[in-house]
Amino acid sequence: MYRRLLINIYQVRNGLIHTQNTRLPSTKCKERESFAPVIWAPCTARPLGTSSISFSENKENSTSLSEDKEKRPEENEAKEEVNTDGQKSTEISNATLTLQLETEPVDKPEDSKQVEKTKSGKESLLELLGAMKVEVTTVRKIRPSKTPRMSERPDQEPMESTHSMFQHATAEGSQQQGTLNPALVAAVSAAASTLPNRHQAESELLKQLRKHEAVPDTQRRADGQNIGHIIADMKVGGRKTNGRSSARPTSQIRFDDDGKGYTQDRGITGELDAVRRRKSPFTSKRLNIFTAGMEQDTLSVLGPTLWDIDLANQIVQATNQAPRNGFEEMIQWTKEGKLWQYPINNEAGLEEEASVPFHEHVFLEKHLDESFPRQGPVRHFMELVITGLAKNHHLTVQQKKEHIDWFRDYFRQKDDVLKEAEA
Amino acid sequence: MFTVIRSKEAVLQALASTVNRDPTASDYRFQDDPYLTPKTSSEFKLFSLSQESGRNAAKYFISTYPKYFQKDYAQPHIPCLMPETLEAQIEEVSEAALIERIQMRKVKAAVDLYDQLQQAGTPVSLDVTNQLLDLICFYGDCDPAQENVPEQRNEETEDVQDEPQTKKGRASKASDKLKAAWKENNNAERIFALLSEPNTHSYSALIRGMVKYGAYSKAFSTYTDLLNNQLKADVSTFNALITAAPEVKEKYNEKWELIVDLLKQMAEQKVKPNLLTLNAVLKALRRCGTVGKSQAFPVISEMRALSIDPSLASYNHLLSIFYKPGAPFQGQTDILQEVMNEVSGKSFTPQDPDDAQFFITAVRICLDTKDIEQAYRVHELLGVGENWRLLGNDFQQNIYHARFFSLLCMMENIDVVLKWYRDLVPSVYYPSSNVMRDLLQALDTDNRLDLIPQIWKDLKQLGHGNRQTLVEELLTLMAREKQNQEVQETFAECALDIKKMYDTGDRGKVMMSWTAGSLSDLVSVLLAAQRRQDAWEILKLFKTHNRVPSEELLDKFLTCIKESGDVNQALELVQISAGFCLPGTPKLIQRVQQEFLLSEQQKSMLSDLEIQTFNSD
Repeated sequence: MYRRLLINIYQVRNGLIHTQNTRLPSTKCKERESFAPVIWAPCTARPLGTSSISFSENKENSTSLSEDKEKRPEENEAKEEVNTDGQKSTEISNATLTLQLETEPVDKPEDSKQVEKTKSGKESLLELLGAMKVEVTTVRKIRPSKTPRMSERPDQEPMESTHSMFQHATAEGSQQQGTLNPALVAAVSAAASTLPNRHQAESELLKQLRKHEAVPDTQRRADGQNIGHIIADMKVGGRKTNGRSSARPTSQIRFDDDGKGYTQDRGITGELDAVRRRKSPFTSKRLNIFTAGMEQDTLSVLGPTLWDIDLANQIVQATNQAPRNGFEEMIQWTKEGKLWQYPINNEAGLEEEASVPFHEHVFLEKHLDESFPRQGPVRHFMELVITGLAKNHHLTVQQKKEHIDWFRDYFRQKDDVLKEAEA
Repeated sequence: MFTVIRSKEAVLQALASTVNRDPTASDYRFQDDPYLTPKTSSEFKLFSLSQESGRNAAKYFISTYPKYFQKDYAQPHIPCLMPETLEAQIEEVSEAALIERIQMRKVKAAVDLYDQLQQAGTPVSLDVTNQLLDLICFYGDCDPAQENVPEQRNEETEDVQDEPQTKKGRASKASDKLKAAWKENNNAERIFALLSEPNTHSYSALIRGMVKYGAYSKAFSTYTDLLNNQLKADVSTFNALITAAPEVKEKYNEKWELIVDLLKQMAEQKVKPNLLTLNAVLKALRRCGTVGKSQAFPVISEMRALSIDPSLASYNHLLSIFYKPGAPFQGQTDILQEVMNEVSGKSFTPQDPDDAQFFITAVRICLDTKDIEQAYRVHELLGVGENWRLLGNDFQQNIYHARFFSLLCMMENIDVVLKWYRDLVPSVYYPSSNVMRDLLQALDTDNRLDLIPQIWKDLKQLGHGNRQTLVEELLTLMAREKQNQEVQETFAECALDIKKMYDTGDRGKVMMSWTAGSLSDLVSVLLAAQRRQDAWEILKLFKTHNRVPSEELLDKFLTCIKESGDVNQALELVQISAGFCLPGTPKLIQRVQQEFLLSEQQKSMLSDLEIQTFNSD
């Protein structure tokens, strides 16, 4: 149910975005009608769609502003209908609504600007300038001195993002009040230097720019009042966008299958806001009770107490210790000591010999002491024996010694026989 | 020479890391015997419990009759396969005997022996006495019960549905405490009083025991005693006192002030806090209301500065501080997101018993806030390193998956939901009937009712085939709209299968009873698939089960009969309708008279019926 509501809201919003971006009559709402027929009556969806289309058309063809103003209340009404439709969705759509209302007044000056721009002879150059100007202002935005309204809303709404750049442009303009930004002047002169008649072009450009600054300012004031009335009529106020309602809808909607064209709308300002927001509460101030490099007084530690054993036991019981596959079961057995250990180097199983150096294994002549004859067949035989033992890696040194000792005993017992044979 | 020191499990660990989870296989525990592969959650519980209890039974016999298990086959000797000695070997009254009894955790015997030693005038060293104090305080002056295995605990919670689990957990803890409260002047206090010079360890044992068994204010007075004796407390004592702090004060502010005071005393006494201190403070802050929200992050920063990194338990407490279950969260900055930013991609090792609570808390918050994005991040975290161990026991795993899957059903596209469904069910998760209903709703929302027959098969396998409400919902969904022919055909098969479920009554389980609604849904489904004969059979069931069909249903049926032109059946239908004394019978008679070609005899029969119904009115 919840998702269905979200889908509905998002459809409408998508519809708006699509018409503005592509400037084609959107059939989005219509397509989705079958998707959620329960709540979303087509009659509410359509006026919204058309008004937004005309809205965007205004922008493109730069028709008179008054017509646009007429359209706007209609759209707001349509929006209100959205609010009454979904119960759960009111909060979210309220948020979008306020956002949209906030951005709208700024949109107007841009239109007028474009009207004039089309008249100008050096059209392309002006466009270039426009782009430059936006860039300058967004760079400035990183510094904290900017409109407080923006900082209140960390996450960008789709409606806003399409206009936000222009908004900054005009906001900046109001601060300057006639005196142009030195960076801007520098940019103008740089641009003008590429033209043949340099000085004339420069002054023309600057004049044009000043005009842009002046016009929107007056117009915006008028628009602001107008919008003020509408807002007062609608009584949207109530809940300002708090952190949650602004963050939530975007993250939810992003998972909708129709998220295209939305993420790219987020724009630079959205990213910047995200960066600023990343100031985590985990880096907050500390209590300052302890000092960092504190030395602990060493208490007499007697090994694990009953409490420590119990803590370990509790942890084991709380966690999932069941093996997921045969190897893990074998690990468990190895830890319990039930399983032969898998070799991890080529000295596996040589624990008791680990401390014995190799020469003890190899040089066994020292064991052929005076109990064996110095020469003769017995000596010869024993030399063969120790050669064999030296090469035998299955026996420990102790076993090799025992082996030699056995022969020593044996030859001692057969001493008389050997003497008889004069060996 | 350069050598890498590897642990003895290194090879096996490397091998184990090559094995991925197979979503089509059951849990490893059940792979020995395919016959015992669990298909439902109750089977899962039964089989895993029986395996565990089998082990316990074997252990019990070996321990009870060690004399029969003395032959040592293993070469080299494997100590853990040999029976443990449970009887005390040293009979004489000596300190060695006392140590032995302490190690065997025989509280009563150890106390008796200590008393005997005291009476005989044999001095007992302070270390041994402290160990004895540890033992008494740990078990609250009672002999420990038979060792409990985690699996057995689940047994009692078997029938409890997903949600009230947390309550259950708390209840069992509370009952533990009720069972053994700290008694006034018990053996621990008595022996402690006998000590001429108790040291930090003695005090620590006493205070921890008091906190464990609910004598909170007494613990604090013992601590004051310790300070008066010019001693220093150790870190575990402080941890215990911090845990007890919220119990001895009423107001949020006072609780917090007490905790800060304890921390300051730690700093004064140069006791370095550990992770458990951090977790104890955070856990105490959960009970400090708004103070908790403002102080939680400074506490974590403080511990970070001492290079104590929070464990999952710390994050769990943090989330619990900010998101109270049931309470609305407004104007809250997104703490869950911040927490996930912190923990994402990290592998955690279990360090605190509460670590295992993190995942179910996090996913609960995701479910409450409908935040699917964070839920995916939580689930991703579960796959990192050994984090899956921290999901806890089977029961917690079940809760986690239930919450995660409900959220998916609510927020996701049906294709995505089904992808997860195939991945999780039934290899790690056996959904409850509530969750299956969520799934049906998701199917409904995205208009993929054609998948219902498949879901029904799963439902049957999961043992929900006899949940009446669920089955009725299934029938309603199938009957609601007309689908294309192919789908209708599968629906009809499915519906007949459901009917079988009603008929058989699975091995003494509660049989489902037909309702008028379910019967008429069943008939509608069959009619839509042009299975008139089957539908006719069902129609007869109305009478046998004393249910009354609706007029629309009979009307629909008649339309269907008309298509085939079976006059006799039409008449029978009218008779049935008349038998139920339905007010719509005259209308039906009228329709039959108009729409069918009737013989004279049939006509007269109809008019008879008409008069009958007229009279009965």
